[in-house]
Amino acid sequence: MKRDLTSGPMRRVGRRLTALATATALIGLTACTAGTDDEAGTDNDAGVMTDYAADTTFRATEPVNLSMLWTDWPDVPITDSWQIFDEIEKRTNVSLDLTNVPFSDAVEKRSLLISSGDAPEVIPLVYTGEEQQFAASGAVLPLSDYVEYMPNFQKRVEEWDLGAMVENLRQADGKYYMMPGLQEVSVPTFTLIIRKDVFDEVGAPVPETWDELREGLAMIKEKYPDSKPLADGFEGQSMLNYAAHAFGTVAGWGFGNGTFFDEESGTFEYAATSDGYRDMLEYFNGLAEDGLLDTESFTAANDGMGTVTEKFAAGQVFAASGSNGTVQDFATALDATDAKGTYELVEIAPPGGQAGQIVEPRNFWNGFMITADAKDDPQFVAKLQFLDWLYYSAEARDLLRWGVEGETYTKSADGTYTLAPDYSLGAFNINPDGKTDIQTDLGYSNNVLADSTESRALKQSYNTPEFVDYIDSVLSTRTPRDPFPPAPLDELELEQASLLATPLKDTVDTNTLKFVLGERPLSEWDAYVAELEAQNLQEYVDLINGAYERFAEKNG
Amino acid sequence: MVTSDAMTPAGPRAGVPIGPRDSKGYRLFTGLNAGVLVLVCLVVLYPFITLLAQSFSSAGAIKAGLVNAVPVDFNIETYRAVTQDERFWTSYGNTVLYTVVGTVVAMILTTTFAYVISKQHLRGRNVLIGIAVFTMFFNGGIIPNYVLISSLGLKNTMWAVVLPGALSVFNLLVMKSFFENLPRELEEAAQLDGLGWFGIYVRIVLPLSKAVIATMVLFYSVAYWNDWFSAFLYLDKNELFPMSLYLRNLIAGASTTTAESAAAIGTTGAAISANIKAVTMVLAILPILVVYPFVQRHFVSGVMLGSVKG
Repeated sequence: MKRDLTSGPMRRVGRRLTALATATALIGLTACTAGTDDEAGTDNDAGVMTDYAADTTFRATEPVNLSMLWTDWPDVPITDSWQIFDEIEKRTNVSLDLTNVPFSDAVEKRSLLISSGDAPEVIPLVYTGEEQQFAASGAVLPLSDYVEYMPNFQKRVEEWDLGAMVENLRQADGKYYMMPGLQEVSVPTFTLIIRKDVFDEVGAPVPETWDELREGLAMIKEKYPDSKPLADGFEGQSMLNYAAHAFGTVAGWGFGNGTFFDEESGTFEYAATSDGYRDMLEYFNGLAEDGLLDTESFTAANDGMGTVTEKFAAGQVFAASGSNGTVQDFATALDATDAKGTYELVEIAPPGGQAGQIVEPRNFWNGFMITADAKDDPQFVAKLQFLDWLYYSAEARDLLRWGVEGETYTKSADGTYTLAPDYSLGAFNINPDGKTDIQTDLGYSNNVLADSTESRALKQSYNTPEFVDYIDSVLSTRTPRDPFPPAPLDELELEQASLLATPLKDTVDTNTLKFVLGERPLSEWDAYVAELEAQNLQEYVDLINGAYERFAEKNG
Repeated sequence: MVTSDAMTPAGPRAGVPIGPRDSKGYRLFTGLNAGVLVLVCLVVLYPFITLLAQSFSSAGAIKAGLVNAVPVDFNIETYRAVTQDERFWTSYGNTVLYTVVGTVVAMILTTTFAYVISKQHLRGRNVLIGIAVFTMFFNGGIIPNYVLISSLGLKNTMWAVVLPGALSVFNLLVMKSFFENLPRELEEAAQLDGLGWFGIYVRIVLPLSKAVIATMVLFYSVAYWNDWFSAFLYLDKNELFPMSLYLRNLIAGASTTTAESAAAIGTTGAAISANIKAVTMVLAILPILVVYPFVQRHFVSGVMLGSVKG
């Protein structure tokens, strides 16, 4: 530390974070294993609400103070005057004590806090899979033991048919350690954004399949020979992710542990050696050869879409990967050019392919974990009830998104949410003339709590009509792939698996890019498969299948 | 060089035309040199110029890649918006506070420690040096450090940022060798006149060490000004965050550099527009940028100090 002060800290950030991650992992390995399975008993039910049930407002019978990790987004800086915390306390008698973490390095700080035993009781913003490392070291509680105190959670899971997905959260010991954010409808966050006016101009339809997309791109290329109409600002990882489902495989961001469950044989197989994967590479290689794919964007380092946005604005790219927010980015950039007022951007449902009109499986959104020490708190049960209310009750979800009914918003009989005229929600461009922003001024619609669990009506209430159209088009014309059955690894296997999987994935990543760019001909596919097999591919797949069978046996 | 030649007219080269220096080749060489150096300067300066241009441009123009060296859609609205943000000034104030307090504390610790270990006759001197040098090669690691700071009760106080970096062993050794080179006779004379060790240190040694002190002040203050990591580790309250943390959140946080986080975070996170980032960066580097040209010669001499053993 002392020496480090003499050199530029920013430059060393990366190295230090790596060190931090390593240190955290070590602590995780050496920390004591999971605590006992004490059921919540009479000694920790202070402040509890005895008749608490689904869809009732939770109110603690004595003041409760709950500590919570709070990630601070730079565009929505938290202030002391946020009404949201007062409102929560007014309704539930629970005050929140926040530990602020800057968004930029929130994940590292979270690991540090949990590993050093200094973490607050509630850790929000946990995505599926992130809980694994903490679960293995016993730093967080197995929340599956406490669902009896969470009636709203149980009700939502049943209403929205999420039971099978919850089962998938279970670790090797048969318990799950996080409570996920539940989504009534789940659509891919990242998909293809097209310049619909240009597709219209050349007479190409909105592509429903990857083959149609290729035809459309070819027509655009004819009209704009200097363009390379298709791009991905995320090193190709985003596009390969949503394309893979249509080809019946997994790739890119969705590559996961690299295995794909084959329904017919009932076993896991390695995705990157499958026929579907090969077909997908052949397809993108074809695009690259015909000059339809902006190959630069597949290799350029991910710089938050800077260059692809620039190309979009310059009329060199007409279709690119992105999310709801990327559409805004493209629009801002296009507005600064001559295209202002003439362009039309549409987020289309991910095109289908040989596997059908398939998109990614339904997903959870971020949820929370509870640190192990909280169990000994006299008010533990009351806190569980409060969290159930906060995360899963319709009342709390409305409050977190829109504020106080009758004050900041109104809800009509048919379930339409309307922001009161004095208030605005700048992040979604709602009532831009309102004096008070419910997000930055009052704390509603904040990124930490508001997104997690959403009904379809709530999700559609704040998004643009275009995004609602996108949700509709995905839900009406696409089928989510069935989730893979669980195959949780125990601690030793996890380590073994990561030793095996890392070199495999490196080989896959390198060669995927080479095949797409045409640096390696697809005639060498067999040689590539042989390279993977030489890296203990079979041993790895056996490991996963072993875990799958063991779990199936144990849990039916 | 020219002056030294002029001062030695009787030297072996007296009367000889300056010769090779005026030759064509030499002129070409200096010309090329100048050209290359100007290019290097431009390369170094260009990011600053772009940043400055961006800070006066509109967000849309930056996203469309239209801004290079000249602002597009010139406006000072962004400056107005950023400087009206309370959080910006709080963190700015914190950085100034941490830098000033940190530098003062660090200077007191470093000069006193260095003076003690510069005394050859001190028994156990090598042990003291050894303890200091040991920490250059080994440290407890991040999590033990964190637990230490936490259990000392320094977490969420200014001291968590100030104290861990308050004694740089590198600076200590530079200072020690400077003190060793001070003429012993001066101190002996002071001793004869009745000054104690502390009096000698305060009234003789320190006033004679202004050059090295200036260098060290610069080293420490720049380090504290830029320090991000200890604030990131030990502070959990927004009102305590220094500029570096605020800035990093604004820049790294908003650009979602890793693919995974982009996928997970989805729509949020990209909302800070490029012009706001640019303005904040310009304002954050301004003080150092303004002060640096005037003190950087100390920086150079400071680096030289450690290299000559007396």
